[in-house]
Amino acid sequence: MARRSTMLSRRGLLTGAAAIGGAAALSGGLSACGAASAANPDQIQFWTLLSGGDGGTMADMVAKATGSGAAYDVKTTTLVWGEPYYTKLAMAATGGRPPELAIMHASRVPGYAPGGLLDSWDVARLAELGVSQDDFPEEIWQKGMIGDKVFAVALDAHPTVLMFNPEICDKAGVLDSDGKLRRTESPEEFLDLLGQVGGQTKGSPPLSYGYLGDGSQMFRLFYTFYTQHGASMTFPEGGKAEIDDDIAVESLELMQRLLDGKLAVQRNDYAAALAEFATGRSGLLFTGVWELRSVKEAGVPFDMTAIPTLFGTPAAYADSHAFVLPHQNEVDEHRRDLTYRFVADLLKGSYDWATAGHVPAYLPVTQSPEYAKLTPQSHYAEVAQQVNYDPAAWFTGSASNFHSNFGNAIQPALMTGKDAPGAIDAFRARVDRLLKTQNPVDPDGTWKP
Amino acid sequence: MTTMSTAAPAAAPSRERLVSWAFLAPFLIAFALFLVWPLVHGLYLSVTNQSLTGAGGSWVGLDNYREALTDPTMWRALRTTVWFTIVSTIPLVILALVMALLVHRGLPGQWLWRLSFFMPFLLASTVISQIWVWIFNPDIGAANSVLGTFGIEPIAWLQDPAVNLYAIVIATVWWTVGFNFLLYLAALQNIPDQLYEAAAIDGAGPWRRLTSITLPQLWPATILIVMLQVLASLKLFDQAYQMLIGVSTDTTRPIVQYIYESGFVGYRFGYSAAISYVFFALIVIVGVFQMTAMNRRRSL
Repeated sequence: MARRSTMLSRRGLLTGAAAIGGAAALSGGLSACGAASAANPDQIQFWTLLSGGDGGTMADMVAKATGSGAAYDVKTTTLVWGEPYYTKLAMAATGGRPPELAIMHASRVPGYAPGGLLDSWDVARLAELGVSQDDFPEEIWQKGMIGDKVFAVALDAHPTVLMFNPEICDKAGVLDSDGKLRRTESPEEFLDLLGQVGGQTKGSPPLSYGYLGDGSQMFRLFYTFYTQHGASMTFPEGGKAEIDDDIAVESLELMQRLLDGKLAVQRNDYAAALAEFATGRSGLLFTGVWELRSVKEAGVPFDMTAIPTLFGTPAAYADSHAFVLPHQNEVDEHRRDLTYRFVADLLKGSYDWATAGHVPAYLPVTQSPEYAKLTPQSHYAEVAQQVNYDPAAWFTGSASNFHSNFGNAIQPALMTGKDAPGAIDAFRARVDRLLKTQNPVDPDGTWKP
Repeated sequence: MTTMSTAAPAAAPSRERLVSWAFLAPFLIAFALFLVWPLVHGLYLSVTNQSLTGAGGSWVGLDNYREALTDPTMWRALRTTVWFTIVSTIPLVILALVMALLVHRGLPGQWLWRLSFFMPFLLASTVISQIWVWIFNPDIGAANSVLGTFGIEPIAWLQDPAVNLYAIVIATVWWTVGFNFLLYLAALQNIPDQLYEAAAIDGAGPWRRLTSITLPQLWPATILIVMLQVLASLKLFDQAYQMLIGVSTDTTRPIVQYIYESGFVGYRFGYSAAISYVFFALIVIVGVFQMTAMNRRRSL
């Protein structure tokens, strides 16, 4: 019997091996990217993580910049958003064949630069091309700096905002005479407003907010409320997280009060919440500016505004898409020069980027008369002055495991409406663990900006 | 292998031995390059702070192991993998047996059943993940619309942390049960007919024949299937990773995914290597346990 079994398994294994071989052949089409653009000396390799609508807008902007007799040619490579992008960028920079230019989330720069993975920008060279510190909101420019060097030049800020359906809100009587959402200055006032809107949503909850399994989405709203207290979070390397517990608990409890099943569905994911609002079932939606296009395409009446200041200080969670120079072992000065020019051209043409919802970081664009006429973008442009990025640490930032850690600690409290202090404790414990670990791109801690 | 060693004379001329080594060489080279060397190198990495980015690489002794053993996320991931192995192995063995018995005994068109039960196994994990992401879609998926006809409330299969691991189990059973089914079917066909004939003469009914002949005769196959299945289930990664992209939580992260995340998302090669050796230790323990169980059974 035993021998028979072995034979059986061999037959099975052969079939299995054939299957695996077939699968490998199918998936073998993945090709390496980032081959050096040796052929054309004027060509810049440009990596982005922008897909969907954002990707299309960026492609148009690149085409515009390269179209009118530009000195450079650009080869854009779009990679999948999130973790895989950052892994590939790190490996390309390590392997010595990175693109000349890449887009990163500004919040990821503090974790990235210390490995020597990025070259810094020459401020004087940027200034010659009309791009200097004065052209950016202070917070946004500062986020690109480590020590006294500039490692990232922001293209935009993409904050968390409040979308509302003006038809539903008008019927509910929560709009003022010029069509803006009535000002609310405390959680109670905001809950009252939601209650009023709830009278007009035909049994559906008035507010949409999806978060299940999405740590980033949980952190965005939480951190907006937290920073509206005028509080900050500091994560000193090797130390303990500095989080104001009372404020954190109060912020989380407000989220729990919103997710009571009547004001908002208690257990909702991102896509379902977006669909509620986009089909006109709810009156308000907490989301990021990047959803502007998809809501617009859904054809539902909508407007956008800053998240109301409920705790005294205007503030909103945000991140920025920023230009970085992946570290080159040997810099091709000609190409680098073209890269500077290309970035300056993109920044100056970033009015187009606003159509995707993002607030351009380059002030001459947002202060222009055309931009003032752009709706609903101009209704929330002020948020660019109130942005709060992830607390700086090597492990934070968009698509980082800090967000998933936050989500794992907080989600049970949101799903059940219970034990906010326990959830904050769990969050703190996770951050303290991460703080004990040395930045893996600089594990010996030798890097200096 | 056995025929080869018996055919070769005890003192083979060195020339012949050379030829046999030459035949073995391609395999040995691949084996050394892709299995032995990574194993050794991984062990070395696990005692350094090597980063994916090329930085680090200094000796840190057992720090990575110390950290791994006190890392609650590591333990939770290990628990997820072990729990998945338990809840997936049971249906994967029992269902395969039931399917094989049905096909072997009664159902007409045996080849068609054999083909359709085995076919999903030939699909790549990416394909089955896509299929099941759609089936499990909470709004438009087939699973909820079938349940809906029985008046059952829609389930957020992949989004709800209380059920999503079981959704992975269901998809995995559908995907891989065909392999075990085929092993069982072949084992069934190998049971000598005279056993049944003799039992029938003695007046044994179908139930008696099943419990006294079929199941005991299938025992060696069962041990083999359980062993292969436990090892396959412990390797859980592809389908869970692909089906839960964006909704993965601590409760659904298998240990292999944590190894991947530590190394390729967190850039910590050294730590990631240490966790994989912790996991390796678990597999060795399971393997030894199964071997002893099997040997004891055989010697009875």
